[in-house]
Amino acid sequence: MFEPQPMTKVIIAGSKDYMNIAIGAMHKHDVVHIADFVDEDEDFKIGKPQASITRLSERAVSLRSIASYLSIKGKEDIPSKYPDDTIIDTIDVKTEQLDVEVTQVTDRISEIESKIKDIKDKKRLLEPLKSFDLPLDLYTGYQSLAVFVGTSKGVPIISDITNDYELETTPYGRGHAISLFVPREFEDDVLKRLQEQGYATLSLPKLEGVPKDILVDLDVQLTELQSEKQKSEADLSDLRQKHIEYILASDEYLSIETQKAEAPLRFATTKNTFIVEGWVPTKDLELVQRDMEDVTNGHVIVDADSSEVADVEKIPVALKNPLPSRPLEVLIRAFSIPKYNEIDPTKLMTFMYPALFGLMLGDIGYGAIVIALGLLVSRRVKSEGMRNLAMIGVYAGMFSIIFGFVFNEFFGVEAFGHAGLLPFIVYPAVPRLENVLNLLIATFIIGILMLTLGYILGFVNEYKQHGLKHAVFAKVSWLCMLWGGALVIALILPSLSSGTGIQLTLGLVVGLAVAVVGFIFLIMGEGMIGLTELPTLLSNVLSYSRLLSIGVSSTGIALAVNKLSYALFFSKGGVFVIFGVLLLIAGHGINTALGILDSGLQALRLHYVEFFTKFYRGGGVKYKPFGFERKYTEEK
Amino acid sequence: MVDPIGAGLIALSAAIAVSATGIAAALGEQVIGSAAIGVMAEDEGFFGRGLVMTVIPESIVIFGLVVALILLFVTLPSI
Repeated sequence: MFEPQPMTKVIIAGSKDYMNIAIGAMHKHDVVHIADFVDEDEDFKIGKPQASITRLSERAVSLRSIASYLSIKGKEDIPSKYPDDTIIDTIDVKTEQLDVEVTQVTDRISEIESKIKDIKDKKRLLEPLKSFDLPLDLYTGYQSLAVFVGTSKGVPIISDITNDYELETTPYGRGHAISLFVPREFEDDVLKRLQEQGYATLSLPKLEGVPKDILVDLDVQLTELQSEKQKSEADLSDLRQKHIEYILASDEYLSIETQKAEAPLRFATTKNTFIVEGWVPTKDLELVQRDMEDVTNGHVIVDADSSEVADVEKIPVALKNPLPSRPLEVLIRAFSIPKYNEIDPTKLMTFMYPALFGLMLGDIGYGAIVIALGLLVSRRVKSEGMRNLAMIGVYAGMFSIIFGFVFNEFFGVEAFGHAGLLPFIVYPAVPRLENVLNLLIATFIIGILMLTLGYILGFVNEYKQHGLKHAVFAKVSWLCMLWGGALVIALILPSLSSGTGIQLTLGLVVGLAVAVVGFIFLIMGEGMIGLTELPTLLSNVLSYSRLLSIGVSSTGIALAVNKLSYALFFSKGGVFVIFGVLLLIAGHGINTALGILDSGLQALRLHYVEFFTKFYRGGGVKYKPFGFERKYTEEK
Repeated sequence: MVDPIGAGLIALSAAIAVSATGIAAALGEQVIGSAAIGVMAEDEGFFGRGLVMTVIPESIVIFGLVVALILLFVTLPSI
């Protein structure tokens, strides 16, 4: 029930003449997990890729550069799949033609862009001189005159150097634009004076006319160029529109063909034969065998290899879970894939994870929000990981609502009962803030039960992997200490807290005896080093108290938001009601976000750290069948 | 009749329990968080595990919270 997909080891072998046909057949079925051949020796060599690989990669490079010009990301949806036989015939010609078309347009665009940049540069240079009426060509070409054109912070005073000058200034930006004509003999002195004022030269473009007129002219050119650029960009998006399906499909086709052409690199080959070692899900074995026989006329055989006991570490693992449990596989994968002979905890987590989440975020209102958010994300978002998380959110929200009824909470307000929103419905609820001690004990019981389940699963795993003796020492020991210790603490705690003496009852003796037996098993199994692990047992159980404390904090925040908005706004009435509503929305929004993040992470932690460590190691090899999940093409 | 000084001391103890453990948890998470970000720069797939490891020191503040809750909801009403 908790095992992954059963796998069978296969040897696929045959004549090299039929290798390509065999690769095609394997690829089509998408079920053979190839174990890469690495140990070359005198007889067996790693295979060589097919000759077509160079051409395929060249095509792929040019196609992908076209795709990036057309900003095709490779994740777009297309209405119908492309039959791949039409691609095979046309790909060479069509890719080249596309390349030419696209390059034409992109070249034009970059030409226009460089022109636009040029004009903008000129505009930037002429802008300061806008209010000077001197034609541009009169700023240069003098023998006896030095000309300074530029910008400066302040206006320079040069009357003490010479009175023979012509200065024009106009405010520009934070400083001034200046044009200054002086006899050449004063050039150096004047320049120094200018530099004191933060002077920067403008290197004027070679144009004719008054700056103001030139600027108007440049603006006209700029508008023209920009509309031209827009037109070219429209051409480009027309091209994208027209060819996107073809580009996506042929990119996929090239990926598939490259994958096939590179496949021999994973095979063992001799002069005339090839051998593939791999794994096939047992249910698909017969299909692959029959099909391979048909397409190669029996020249390639698929042989189920049961000769040697397979190394469990190397068997690929495909998780096998019913549809409702599948979203939870994300959480298992984030931790580690189980080994082939290990229990896959996904099904257990399907109930336990949302239940722990619901215990923490137990509120009818918040639960409804979580469900709504989950449904929204799973509808709108394409990424599979996010969708799985959203589905987990929906499960978790359901448990939040269930526990919301138990705790009688609706956005921190009492929902039912005499003081509640709906006073006519009365049932025995357990409000969290009034039952802290009882609920705390309940969380410890949940912890003990979950750890017990963990140790039982661990026992099964150890029994399967290392035998009964090891399983008893490693897991029963801890189980005994857990229950014995729990019994002892439960019995002596009341007398400890009330201060009366401890009475030696039968229960206490039994508890102590069980714990001691567990302790002896532990020492026998692990030696004295096992002692260092003892405190973790206590901290693991105590760790489950977060189920209560996070829940109470979230209730506390909700309560604070409600009380604040009443005291500050609702009690005053009038316009203040609007502010009150805003505060309620913001407060509960933040609390929901905190609740989802914290409850989600802490529930996950209780699984990863407290629960999984009792039985789960992971580290399995992920099942990756040789094949391709076609999205844009279909095989004809 | 509740002794006001005793009640105040209990409330204060609860506050210390939460705030001191909060600081401790923050110190722990600071170190782990920056290390986790460092690993993520190498391997994006570490995000899930990194996130979980980062919240591990949160246990400290949760224990503090439990102590505070017991003080406020169990000890305080009983004096």
